[in-house]
Amino acid sequence: MRPTALVTGAARGIGARAAQRLAADAWDVVAVGTDEPGLARTALRSPNTHTRVCDATDPKAVAAVLAVTGPVHRLVCAPTAPSTELEHVLRTTVLAASSCIDAALPGMLDRGRGEIIVLTEPPSRSPAHAAATAALTAYLRALAADHPAPGVRFRHATAPPDVPPRDVLDAVDRSLARRPRTLTLHPTRRPRILSR
Amino acid sequence: MSTDHTVQGERVAMPVRIREAAVASAMFAVRAPAARALIAYSGLDVFEPVRGRAICSLAFVRYVDGDLGPYHEFAVAFLARPPGGEVGAFIHWLPVNQEFTLEAGRSIWGFPKELADIPMHLASRVKRCAVRFGGRTAIELAVRPGAPVPSGSRSPRVTAYSHLDGVTRRVPWEVAPARVRMRPGGATLRLGDHPVADDLRGLGLDGARALSTSTVGHLRMTFEAAEEVRP
Repeated sequence: MRPTALVTGAARGIGARAAQRLAADAWDVVAVGTDEPGLARTALRSPNTHTRVCDATDPKAVAAVLAVTGPVHRLVCAPTAPSTELEHVLRTTVLAASSCIDAALPGMLDRGRGEIIVLTEPPSRSPAHAAATAALTAYLRALAADHPAPGVRFRHATAPPDVPPRDVLDAVDRSLARRPRTLTLHPTRRPRILSR
Repeated sequence: MSTDHTVQGERVAMPVRIREAAVASAMFAVRAPAARALIAYSGLDVFEPVRGRAICSLAFVRYVDGDLGPYHEFAVAFLARPPGGEVGAFIHWLPVNQEFTLEAGRSIWGFPKELADIPMHLASRVKRCAVRFGGRTAIELAVRPGAPVPSGSRSPRVTAYSHLDGVTRRVPWEVAPARVRMRPGGATLRLGDHPVADDLRGLGLDGARALSTSTVGHLRMTFEAAEEVRP
């Protein structure tokens, strides 16, 4: 059976690239976002990519998607917010990630395996993004501490505008080959892990 | 040539463009008579850069963003040419892991694609790929990291050759590689249980040292319409 990945923010940018790489690797991909034409472009000629128009900040909408998706083996939350306004950034990054994790994590804990990957814009983008980055780092570490399942791992990577999405995703892929359950990655033009 | 094709009910416009891919490859010198006999079915002859030696290339490719959708591919190719024609890459075998590209590749260009499981690791320093059928491994290839080389600003035009259902075709192909690394040697090849693995064993590739290996971190390509090669 193919593993399933749920990718939010999959209509464009790094979320679209993450979905396409997983589809190339023969995952069943559920590409989620609010931009239906963008999702269709991501899923073009990819029979194992399924699109779902859904606002990831709405826990009920996310739960409805997961109800038809089945078990999610990897969750990728990608940035969607062009705004730098604090409430908007926190809602579309921290709260959106939180609602998706709330929906996907119980199944991963039941199976003892899973990967939760949150991609955000860098803290240098704006004070709001700095706050969101700090909040997500703390949130993922607290989740890992609360749920000591060694097979469920958490990654948070920032995606600076001068670093191609493929480099950020490569850094995440490399980090998944490492043992720690939680890692925060700040890829630069030469990707490297800055903090653990 | 601007002929369009219909694949699984969708119109595929020519030329087909690949906007983002990544590749790792290894080049081997093999016995020319054995290689010549292996690809004789195509009507092409192997190119011998050194008398008695032909070039066999193995490559694995991750297509992320392109007109044929996202997929993985493994290629077994030989430098070859038709009588009096130009040297190009003759594609002897081309397993892929997605059905749209399978049908497109076979129907548009006559590439010898077949469906396989193709796990691939391109993010790590050592790039790895396997081709599996029903859980049985046909080929495993690992490519170790090389030194960066300038990729240049031009997009070289090369030629690919294919052969399917008795027809040999020439495919004009443009490549724009970036983030290229190369080194002498650097490949580990493991041959498993498959007729193509037996072909490669027959060429002496089991345990062979590669002439060179290369990786391309970012590759754009254009494939134009195929033209039939007549004897």
